Amino acid sequence: MDHASALELSFAMGETLLRNGAEISRVQETMERVARSYQVPEFDVYVLTNAIFANGVENGVRHTTQLKHIPSTTIHFGRISAVNQLSREIAEGKHTVEEAFAILEEAKNLSPSRLPLTLFACAVGSACFCYLFGGGLLDSIAAFFCGFLLEAFLFFCERQKLSKFLKNLLASVLAAFLAAFFLLLGLGNDLDKIIIGSIIRLVPGVSLTTSIRDFFNGDYLSGAIRMIDAVLVGGCIAVGVGVVVKVISFFPGFFM
Amino acid sequence: MLSLLLSWCIQTAVAFLATIAFSIIFHTPKKQWIFTGITGGAGWLCYLICIHFHSGVTAASFFAAVVLTLLSRCFSIHRKEPVTVFLICGIFPIVPGAGIYYTGYHFFMSQNTLALDKGLETIKIAIAIALGVGIVLSLPRFFFTLERRTRP
Repeated sequence: MDHASALELSFAMGETLLRNGAEISRVQETMERVARSYQVPEFDVYVLTNAIFANGVENGVRHTTQLKHIPSTTIHFGRISAVNQLSREIAEGKHTVEEAFAILEEAKNLSPSRLPLTLFACAVGSACFCYLFGGGLLDSIAAFFCGFLLEAFLFFCERQKLSKFLKNLLASVLAAFLAAFFLLLGLGNDLDKIIIGSIIRLVPGVSLTTSIRDFFNGDYLSGAIRMIDAVLVGGCIAVGVGVVVKVISFFPGFFM
Repeated sequence: MLSLLLSWCIQTAVAFLATIAFSIIFHTPKKQWIFTGITGGAGWLCYLICIHFHSGVTAASFFAAVVLTLLSRCFSIHRKEPVTVFLICGIFPIVPGAGIYYTGYHFFMSQNTLALDKGLETIKIAIAIALGVGIVLSLPRFFFTLERRTRP
């Protein structure tokens, strides 16, 4: 009985979207569209960055549901686009509720990119950003290796379920330390440029911009949540790098 | 002049690569990689051109955001994918991630003037980008579907 409910379906789709990093308005729209397509007579939903509140009337019974989840969403565009496709098909009336549940289950289980590929991607990304920020060729090569090891470390953190702040702190310490190490080996000239290239994977630039977009859309609460998140994560990274740079500056001779 | 164009080409190519790298990290479907890359490259090229004509970083970010959001909307309609896929990946190069880091870093090193400077600049850039994105996203849909009027 549970699994035939259109409300449950709408809710599950919203949850999947939010968990994989979709924006607030998309989650809200999708949930409303699904409910409307199955002729749910009354449906209200309120979405925050880290929670969904929804209630609706189905078969004459009022259902209330709420969900909380960890703010650390991992972005997975493959799943977002799969759910989006599903919601478009539902709006065209192609699926019954049961079929839609089955397709949603498939979308949820879409596998992430393979590990070697992400390691390589992070390495290339770090090298590219090091170059864009004005680093030389050698700096970029150093950033390449830093990025590679950083992504491996992040994968390890994911496995161990480390808290978000500890993860960012440790990862930035690692990145700064590796950058200093490569500089000591003679790979690269500018410590600052290597570091900024390697930590670009961690830095919350997109969440800061999204938070201001939320403010413009009138989602003040979601915007504030994201903004605080961005500031805290940025602070963690700065402290992590700062500690390493301070420690290094006690050993004069190599750098600066 | 030629060397300037060459450096623009190289930088755009690097931004293209960087965007693709990050779209892999965000698990974007494989068949969209080229298009996210184009979005990111175009945004960065626009940024470079604006900087070259002394527009200042904030205005440059604004125009880059406008260009890349226009592109992502076109791609999203023609490739039938959500806009976010192209937008978030493509916006990555111009977003002030480094600014947030430098603000915190100078703050930690008690270089308060520098920290304040960087912090204000970061906020300004973020607002400029959000404005650019917001304006283009609120344009009515028919701007982007001129040759496909039949689709709903």
